[in-house]
Amino acid sequence: MTTTVTASGLGLRYGGTRALDDVSLRLTPGVTGLLGPNGAGKTTLLRVLATAVPADRGSFTVLGHDPGTSRGRHQVRRSLGYLPQTPGLHPDFSAFEFVDYVAILKELTDRTARHREVRRVLEEVDLGDVRGRRIKKLSGGMRQRVALAAALVGDPGFLVLDEPTVGLDPEQRMRFRELIAGAGEGRTVLLSTHQTEDVAMLCHRVLVMARGRILFAGTPAELTARAAGRVWSSTERAPGAKAGWRTGTGSFRNVGDPPADAELLEPTLEDGYLLTLDDVSAEAAA
Amino acid sequence: MVEVGRRRSGVSRGLVVAVGRTVPWRVVGVGAVVGLLVVWLPRLLGGTPDAWLGLNLLRAAALVFALGLAFLLDDPARRLTTPVPTRRWARTGLRVALVTPVAAVWWTAALLLVPAQSRPPVGPVTLEAGATAALALAAACVVVRFTEEPEPGASVAAGLLTFALLAPALIPSRWDLFVPVGDPAWAAAHVRWAAVLTAAVVTAVLCAPEPVRSLRSLRAAS
Repeated sequence: MTTTVTASGLGLRYGGTRALDDVSLRLTPGVTGLLGPNGAGKTTLLRVLATAVPADRGSFTVLGHDPGTSRGRHQVRRSLGYLPQTPGLHPDFSAFEFVDYVAILKELTDRTARHREVRRVLEEVDLGDVRGRRIKKLSGGMRQRVALAAALVGDPGFLVLDEPTVGLDPEQRMRFRELIAGAGEGRTVLLSTHQTEDVAMLCHRVLVMARGRILFAGTPAELTARAAGRVWSSTERAPGAKAGWRTGTGSFRNVGDPPADAELLEPTLEDGYLLTLDDVSAEAAA
Repeated sequence: MVEVGRRRSGVSRGLVVAVGRTVPWRVVGVGAVVGLLVVWLPRLLGGTPDAWLGLNLLRAAALVFALGLAFLLDDPARRLTTPVPTRRWARTGLRVALVTPVAAVWWTAALLLVPAQSRPPVGPVTLEAGATAALALAAACVVVRFTEEPEPGASVAAGLLTFALLAPALIPSRWDLFVPVGDPAWAAAHVRWAAVLTAAVVTAVLCAPEPVRSLRSLRAAS
């Protein structure tokens, strides 16, 4: 599969904190999930790849363009859709006016073609009927979709989404998943999230980050497989478990190194993710 | 990607209109109206200001207008629109360009509200007003350049107001800026005002572009 985004040795420090530590990655078309705990460096990585903040070290290319040059950065930005964690919108603009404003900033200067494109993306995010409504009168989920429409306008080849489903109710989240899945057809999407279900349902690849480093890169199935034979059921919380919780049936679901006679369970992506983080913590402690 | 109608252009009409709609005109307008009321106050009260009062009313009006200008770079959508092809300096420059004629008309009106006999020399007092406005803009540019705050206006305005209130007490008398008309230090004070204006403009210009140095070092490291 064609590699669309490559990064090599990216590093960034904020004061004494190493936000990115020698990050290298390759992205291909489709949705790639980026999982990690708070403070892992996910947002920083997304912002660097979106050219919103420069890295201290390393290099990367997006669709063959090098953002280290003024011309390259301009080309990257023309190929980019970016939805930050807290996008912020102009509340007095209508949905159409706001997306049109972003389209102008993306250098879509032909008015007729631009308006056609703005209507297209607003239809795509299911806001065609309310495109004339002021943003301040829209619900939180609708505002998030306006921001997604702004990221999608101009049909970017690389879409960077930073926790787009945070704060949405389950129905809105499901709707957003549909939109992201659609957006991932034919373009490269990097999706940062805390929701392992989002990754399991949407992503063909997943990256796990902690302490500014990539701990895992592979498919969701490979991440899930990391927990194979390491999830088991018990009547009480197992003392040796890395994590354990009582389920709705009353039994405990434990993750870690099981005892010999353990009743093993089918692992999930979340189990693989928890164990990946835990293995690294254990290595660091050792 | 959509290429139809897409071209690399400096400033298009659409960009001017779009950026014009994002300017916080309401707060700039409030600063302008309150500034005019400050100058108009003696007339409203049925009096005529003397030269000293005329000068200080104009200074106060310029400060109030500058407090409004401190909000000029506020952009709630800043995070979403940071990585777009249209460069930040172009958007900042457009905002300043759009508000400059308004500021010129407003200042002319403020000057005309002061009776001719108590109006201070127009050139020097305009220099003071220009430097005050430039200071507000430069401070906003610095905050935008070095922080991720999308709406720095309130903190910049608070800082400017605090500085303006404390400056007469804190600035040593040999560097005094707030000198009455006819004072022997009037000319020297306005040389200092010119220096303040120059420093503010240079700061604003230096802070308007994006932090390219780090991007260059990124390239060098690759």
